[in-house]
Order: sequence, then C-alpha cells, then structure tokens
Amino acid sequence: MTNLDAAATRWGQSGRITLFLRDGADPQDIAQLRVVLEGLADVSEVTHVTPAQARESFLEEADVGADLSKLPSEVFPASLEVALVQGVTRERSESIAMRLTQFRAVSDVESYGRWFQKLDHLLWGARMLAGGLALLVMFCVVAVIGNTIRLAVARRRQEIEVMKLCGATNGFVRGPFVLEGMFQGFASALLAVLSLLVGYLVLHDSVDSTLAALTGSKVVFLGAWTVVALLVGGAVIGAIGSAVSVRRYLAV
Amino acid sequence: MQGTKVVRPFPFFRAGARASQPQLSKPILVLEDVYKFFRPDQPTLRGVDLSVERGEFAFITGPSGAGKSTLLKLIYRELRVDEGRVLFCGRDIGRLTDKSIPFLRRNLGVVFQDFRIIDHWTVFENVAVALEIVSMPQRLIRSRVAEALERVGLAGRGPEQTSNLSGGEKQRVAVARAIVPEPALILADEPTGNLDPHLAIDILTLFEEINSTGTTVLFATHDRSLISKRDHRLISIDDGRVSEAQQGLKHWQGSSGIHTLVSSAWGRRCSA
Ligand SMILES: Nc1ncnc2c1ncn2[C@@H]1O[C@H](COP(=O)(O)OP(=O)(O)OP(=O)(O)O)[C@@H](O)[C@H]1O
Ligand SMILES: [Mg+2]
Repeated sequence: MTNLDAAATRWGQSGRITLFLRDGADPQDIAQLRVVLEGLADVSEVTHVTPAQARESFLEEADVGADLSKLPSEVFPASLEVALVQGVTRERSESIAMRLTQFRAVSDVESYGRWFQKLDHLLWGARMLAGGLALLVMFCVVAVIGNTIRLAVARRRQEIEVMKLCGATNGFVRGPFVLEGMFQGFASALLAVLSLLVGYLVLHDSVDSTLAALTGSKVVFLGAWTVVALLVGGAVIGAIGSAVSVRRYLAV
Repeated sequence: MQGTKVVRPFPFFRAGARASQPQLSKPILVLEDVYKFFRPDQPTLRGVDLSVERGEFAFITGPSGAGKSTLLKLIYRELRVDEGRVLFCGRDIGRLTDKSIPFLRRNLGVVFQDFRIIDHWTVFENVAVALEIVSMPQRLIRSRVAEALERVGLAGRGPEQTSNLSGGEKQRVAVARAIVPEPALILADEPTGNLDPHLAIDILTLFEEINSTGTTVLFATHDRSLISKRDHRLISIDDGRVSEAQQGLKHWQGSSGIHTLVSSAWGRRCSA
C-alpha cells in the first residue's frame, strides 16, 4: 500500500500532455501553438518532437527483435510534448487538453487521463486486496491465539479451580494466560513481518525496475514505526484474545 | 516481591491471636434463617439457624441430597444465600462482592471427597499453591509447606509426584493445602468418602489434631460409623432443616441414640 500510494502521487504530480500534430500542418500554426502553450501558467516546458525523432526514440526504447525501421512514417506523427508544472490536478490537465483539440494543427491530444483512471482503479483494487488480506491475517491470528489459549485454559481448568478455591484473585489466575497470549501475538506478528521482509528482499530487485520504469516510483519496505506498531498490535490482540478466553472459567 | 509482609484484608480471620477480644468471644460462624432455592417451589435449605463457636469440631450429617454440600458452599461462597444471613467472623458472607470472595477464601480451608489436587504437580507444589496466590516469598513458602506436610504426616515427601500417592496420602496433601495458610475455619465435605474405613479414621484423627490447635472444623459426612466413634457436636440436616444432637455421643452410645436420630432422618427422607 505504501508503495502504490507513492506511485499515485508521482503520477499525479508529473502531469504531461502530448499533442499529436496533423501531417503537413502549417509550421506557422505550430509555432503559434507553441507560443500559446508557453504562455499558459500551468505549462512548464514544451518540446517539439519530429517524426524522425519519434521513430528514433521508439526504436531505442522498444527492444524488439523485428526490423521496425521500415515502419511507415504515419506511425510516428510529429508531436508537442507539453510538461505541466508540479501540482497541476488531473481535472485541470484534462480541461487544458480539451481546449487544445480546438487548434487546427492538432490531430489528437493525449492527456493520459484514462491512464490515470486505470491506475486509480488498479490502486483501489490493490488497496481493497491489501485491506482484505490484513483483515484475514488479523482474523486468523485472533482465532489461532484464542483457540490455543482456550485449549490451554481447558487443560488447566483443574488448576484454575484449585487456585480460585484457595483464594486467588481473577487477575492472578488470568496473568499467565494473558502473558502467553501476548507472547504468541507478538511472535505471530514478528513472523508476519519477517515473511513480508523475505518477500520484499526476494522480489524488490525485479519489481523495482519495472515499477520505476512504469511509474517512476520505488518499492519501499514498511517503516520502522509501522513494524513496531504491528508487533505491539499483535501482542495487544493476543493479550485481549486470551483474557477473553479465560473469562468464562473465572466465574466463581 | 516486596519484603515479607503479606497483605491480608481480614487479618483477624486468622487462627492467630490477632483478633480483637470481643470478636474472639463471638461465634466464628452464624447462620440466620438461611434459605437456598435451586427450584422456586422447593428450597434445598429452609430456615437454617446455626451457630459455631471458635475452636469447635462439628459433624454435619444427613441423607444424600439433604444439602450438606450446599450449606458448605454458602460458607465458602461458591453459592450465595437467597434469604437470611451467613456471618463469618461477624461479616455477612452473602453480601460480599465478587472481588472480595478471594479474601474470604484465604481465611478458609476446604477439603473435598475427590481431593482436588493436581496430579501433575508435586506434593510441594500442591500445598504451596495456597501461599503462592498471595505472592508470599519463596523462602517463607518452603518453610511453611514443610511444616504443614509434617503436620499431616508427609514430612519430607514434597518432591514426590502426586500421581504416585495413595488415596489416603492424596487426601493428606489436600489437608496440608487447606491448613497451610492457617485458616480460622476448615470445611471438609465428605473428606473420607473415597477412603477405606481405617484410612477414614486416620483422616478424621488428622482433622481432630488440627482442631486441637484452635482451628474450627466443620466435617460433613454421612458415615454413621465414623460419627459414632467420636464425641463431637452433631449437626443433622434433613428436609432443608437443621436439627442438633448437642450432647456428646458417648452419652448416646450403647443406646443406639445416634443411630435412631440419623436413621429416622433418613427414613423420613425416603418416605417423603
Ligand atoms: N447447582 C445446583 N443446581 C440445582 N440443584 C442443586 C445444585 N446443587 C445442589 N442441588 C440440589 O440440592 C440438593 C442438595 O444437594 P447437596 O449436594 O447439598 O446434598 P448433600 O447433602 O451434599 O448430598 P451428598 O451426601 O450426596 O453429597 C440436591 O437435591 C441437589 O440436587
Ligand atoms: Mg455433598
């Protein structure tokens, strides 16, 4: 989740619009368009990409075996790469793109809005998945700890009875069980964090490069405080789970 | 652990001489018009009045299902009275909150027919638990447990595994656990029920020895042969009511008085 958020932020900030130019568009129209664009407050930079440049950079990036140099020139139209200043919202860049389609020299405008939308959906799905997984893991931990403690309590039922008969307070009887639950909760949280760390170490090299190319973001591991919170949370959940399990047996 | 001081909420409950003079001269246990209902129409105990003096030894007898165990449970507060009062050292046990019940029980020793000792604990651990629950220092626990084991005739057997003991020895362990906190009152619910007759006498004798050091003992049993061997106060429960044979049993012996008393109670129960 941390990782995906970082990607979303990066994409949101680096607004870009590509104006594909009509074949044989009047160079004067293009020059005028540039002037208009550079006059906009939201635009930071405008680059003119000729068909030759487009073909070159494509061949450079796309490392396909087939000989693509014979592709017709229509495939690589001339374009204006418009970089927007930092912090331009998606809605704003959409509306700028809309207005730019009015120009005569422009054949098509790509504001990457749909890409953002897709990424949004992806992010939403990933968040739900991550949340669901976290819930599932938590549920399992509570169930497992509750169960082991319940078993331990049932096994020691006689001992609890004897202690109560001798005048042990509920707190005294509960103590060891709560401690055990706490330890188990901590241990399972630690296990979860460690397996996450292993997964991260194994995957982060390959994932990093793809993700960096795709979104310009990096995979980062959970922060130290998150790890601490997870461990403490596990211990607390374990303690609560066992305290609840013992409760029934403490009735006088 | 902080020092050797053990906090006892009711210090005067102990067998020692710390109780105030007026409290000492009063009965240790008083039941006033006690009712206990398990079914709304049929009280198990109906209007029980009873007074037990400090240092007394009393048998509680009656047919099976008469309510002997119920009476004892009211005292160690496994059950709560429905009507009337149970006063232990002048305190109304029925009105104790759940939180203070442990402090009542630290001043009582309870022994059962089924021993209720933990088989996978050693003899020492089974006795020490009664002191560990008040977080007494280990050094003190060791010496007091050793002393209690000596009193029940199990001196030096602390390290033994309880599962290897005979029934009579297990009951001695249970008695040691009951007496090790030096309670003022010992409640025994058919402690000889699972034992051979000669072992039963041994255990009875053990309770009498404990009683001779000043501890009050209530000994519930329906073993008539056991009762007839001794000259103790006899509290008989039948049909939810208490009747007494205050006179010593020696007086009854030969005349089979106790037998008529007990068996007539049983007869009435059966015909009812
Ligand atoms: N928890 C309970 N719920 C319902 N009824 C109970 C409960 N405890 C005891 N009784 C009833 O109360 C009556 C007295 O039971 P109690 O155990 O006190 O008898 P007792 O004199 O100890 O008998 P025994 O000699 O067999 O031990 C019985 O009829 C029993 O069924
Ligand atoms: Mg009984």
